[in-house]
Amino acid sequence: MHHILALPILFPILAGAVMLILRPAGRRHRNLFLMASVLLTTAFSLTGILLSYRLGGDALTCVLVSFSTWLSISLKIDGLSMVYGTIVAVLWPLITVYSILYMEHEGQENRFFGFWLISFGVVNGIAFSQDFLSMYFFYELMTLSTLPLVMHAMDEKAQYAGRKYLVYSISGASFAFIGIVFLLNYSSSLDFTYGGILDAAKTVGAENTLLVVFICAFFGFGVKAAIFPFHGWLPDASVAPTPVSALLHAVAVVKAGAFAVARLIYYGFGADFLRGTYAQTVVMTATIVTIIYGSARALRTPHLKRRLAFSTVSNLSYILFSLTLMTPGGLAGGLTHMVYHAVIKITLFACAGAIIVKAGREYVYELEGMGSRMPVVFGAFTVSSLALIGLPPLGGFAGKWMIAEAAVDTGESLAYLGIAALILSTLLTTLYLMTVIVRGYFPVGQLDMEALETIHDPGRMMTVPLALLTALGVVLALCSNTIIHFLQMVSLGIV
Amino acid sequence: MLLILPILIPVIGGIFVFRQKNEQIRNRMVLCIAGVTAALAVLLCLLPEQTVELMTIQGALRLSLQNDGLAKFFMALVALIWLPVAVFSFPYLKHAGGERKFLSIYTMTQGILMGLAMARNFITMYMFFEMMSMLTMPLVLHNGTPAARRAGFQYLGYSVFGAGMALAGFFVLAYYEALPDFVAGGILNPILASQHRELLLAVWFLMVVGFGAKAGMMPMQSWLPAAHPVAPAPASAVLSGVITKGGVLAIIRVTYYMFGPKFLAGSWAQKALICLALCTVFVGSMLALREQQFKKRLAYSTVSQVSYVLFGLLLLTADGVKGALLQMVFHALAKDTLFLAAGAIILSTNFSRVDQLRGIGRRMPVTTWCFTLAALSLIGIPPMSGFVSKWYLASAALESSISWVGAAGVAVLILSALLTAGYLLPIVADGFFPGADFIAEIKEVGRGMTVPMLIFAVLAMALGIFPGLLLRPVEALCGLIF
Repeated sequence: MHHILALPILFPILAGAVMLILRPAGRRHRNLFLMASVLLTTAFSLTGILLSYRLGGDALTCVLVSFSTWLSISLKIDGLSMVYGTIVAVLWPLITVYSILYMEHEGQENRFFGFWLISFGVVNGIAFSQDFLSMYFFYELMTLSTLPLVMHAMDEKAQYAGRKYLVYSISGASFAFIGIVFLLNYSSSLDFTYGGILDAAKTVGAENTLLVVFICAFFGFGVKAAIFPFHGWLPDASVAPTPVSALLHAVAVVKAGAFAVARLIYYGFGADFLRGTYAQTVVMTATIVTIIYGSARALRTPHLKRRLAFSTVSNLSYILFSLTLMTPGGLAGGLTHMVYHAVIKITLFACAGAIIVKAGREYVYELEGMGSRMPVVFGAFTVSSLALIGLPPLGGFAGKWMIAEAAVDTGESLAYLGIAALILSTLLTTLYLMTVIVRGYFPVGQLDMEALETIHDPGRMMTVPLALLTALGVVLALCSNTIIHFLQMVSLGIV
Repeated sequence: MLLILPILIPVIGGIFVFRQKNEQIRNRMVLCIAGVTAALAVLLCLLPEQTVELMTIQGALRLSLQNDGLAKFFMALVALIWLPVAVFSFPYLKHAGGERKFLSIYTMTQGILMGLAMARNFITMYMFFEMMSMLTMPLVLHNGTPAARRAGFQYLGYSVFGAGMALAGFFVLAYYEALPDFVAGGILNPILASQHRELLLAVWFLMVVGFGAKAGMMPMQSWLPAAHPVAPAPASAVLSGVITKGGVLAIIRVTYYMFGPKFLAGSWAQKALICLALCTVFVGSMLALREQQFKKRLAYSTVSQVSYVLFGLLLLTADGVKGALLQMVFHALAKDTLFLAAGAIILSTNFSRVDQLRGIGRRMPVTTWCFTLAALSLIGIPPMSGFVSKWYLASAALESSISWVGAAGVAVLILSALLTAGYLLPIVADGFFPGADFIAEIKEVGRGMTVPMLIFAVLAMALGIFPGLLLRPVEALCGLIF
């Protein structure tokens, strides 16, 4: 029974390997195989999550590989896994439909979708890991499986972006590994435990070392979560095909970084151990700097996808800032924004991709007057932008509210500075998103009417996922009370 | 349920207005929707207080509506202004172009303003406030010039940042609230609040300055003089007349329905804000005097005059609030007349500078007469309504318990009145008495544009002669708060 946990991980990896080896030539066969695999994986994943919710996470643990008495690759679904796992499981099929039509324009679909499926399995592995070693294993594997996706175009820019991604990620994971080694040394097992796994008896006298190690590990995992100054790989990775930017670099990969940080703080070192120390000050400051830096760079970037990439840098640090508050409220705030930002950002990237595919326009200043030519795309972009800006009752507001409340509850002055950063970032977000919308709907100057006449909304396989994603964002926002209640239970360790 | 209608009908109606390509039907639609919304607003003013819960965001954070006294006051003001300005905009936009976009957004904005009035707690008000800022930005952008786009973004930036400052204040304040929704007199937990008085005063200061950006209070007022010259005249009219009052409404809610006058009276924050308000009154008038661009002069005038309202509110007394609420209405009437007249003049003559307006009284007598009446009201000359509101403000200032407010307040009010005369009367004088050598043919604008002006100008005079009409509801409202 408990082997069902292995399915959402092993099945897509196998399916992806099959696609890479067999290379189906017919488009229809490949697409059918792809969609079936993705939908099945989602089904397995959600079944596992539901069963764990009903029976309790401990009922369904699964050991994939055992190295020794303490070291193994094993799986278990606890509250945090449920959140991250559900986000991934729900969004993956939608973007796969989108990417089928999108990749017709890019080519080399077999290689792309093969690694796409493998990445799905690996990301599920990160979500459902029971302990630090398993998570680290899948974490490294994710870098490797997503690398071909980033480098897909195989031109100079793509190769540079791929190399940068690889170097940053592997280096970051190495520093994180130091943290894992120390955790193993000062605890009795590496299994994620709410409240931390450090053994109080063993850590006496070594607190300072552990704090330094924590800072290393935080920045190590933080690389994937694009914390300043290690964010540089993300804007460069926006040369990847848009489905990669949308799903992986707005949802799966970067949220894996945030997820890992959450595990590190709340299920590893323990919030009580870290709260009030200089380590907390250091990491919180880094997140506050990143919030402002990301938003400011986004405003100054004319390339639309790079602008969205910097926006992701900033929004991820909303989550990280909340996590560094080191209270259950902080964890709840971080998870809230994780959920809503994932849906919003994936929609925004998908819109940008549609514009690139249909109109060939990549820069913000080229978008004059396109609002009426691509109503579905710009409509989805507008709704998602308003959500990201934080217009109640849409999703971005719920995240900001929970984060701000957690920050105020701590009473620390640095946390208040974080709230100020959030507000400043809101202003910058408004400016860098509304410029796109305003240019689209209220053009200024002479318009090239001939060129505009040729531009239309993309086909149904792209507009339907866009519409569904936008609707999903709105529905989730309207159900915010229920969702946040669940996330609060997760943050208290009850689920 | 009835409370949602004045919000939904204009917002959904605006979409239909946009899709309607036939001009006649479209104009009738706009008038119909504005009329129905106004009727609903009046109906809600007559009905007793009701509440509607829209949704729960999280825990105690809810979106809900209530038509309490202040909501009724603001809804009535919006209903009064919206219809005549719509009538004015039909012939105006025929000339300027882009009617569909403008009229649809104009219609939707009325709904959002109704929502702003009826907001029952801070988050609902913040939601409608942001919606209002986003939705009115296209009105500023309408002319499609690079300058209009810059002004539009300046407007949006200041509004969003100001609202953001207020939101930050709310995040801190939420812990000290005893009740989640607005209650006249304040909702702070008295024990907790008195323990952290300094922090809460700083929060109040932040929130007032933040919302004050929308009301054109210094230091965040510079979007106003940038936006008005580039926006079409009907947009300027509602921007100055009603949207800035949206910022004032938010300040009233924060000050009287969240913090409460008893907590704030006599504090350093109150004194600092009174200084800011008086500074704005004075500096606004001075800059208006120096300004040669016609609509920009009126914009600076708005900066100055709306801070009269804020000054009255910040006195934290019943008389101050009375004067402030009266000034809110009378300024809206007068300023809208001025902007509509300016729009008519600019449309008819293409003159945008004040020194070009010699003899305008001969060319466009009706327009200039309306301008004159409105100018007299703004200066504060009886029997115009502006006199009544400024009288109340001055007497409230003199009664204030803070020592220097009486003298400073009255001095600034008188000075500003003189400056207002200085920047408005020469236009009138040169308009009617251009000198013997001036030959002009009468080229008045059509009835569609003059009738709204006349309505506002006559109301401005009528409410000055019979202020009792307005005084009773205002006094009832003050009774609730204190």
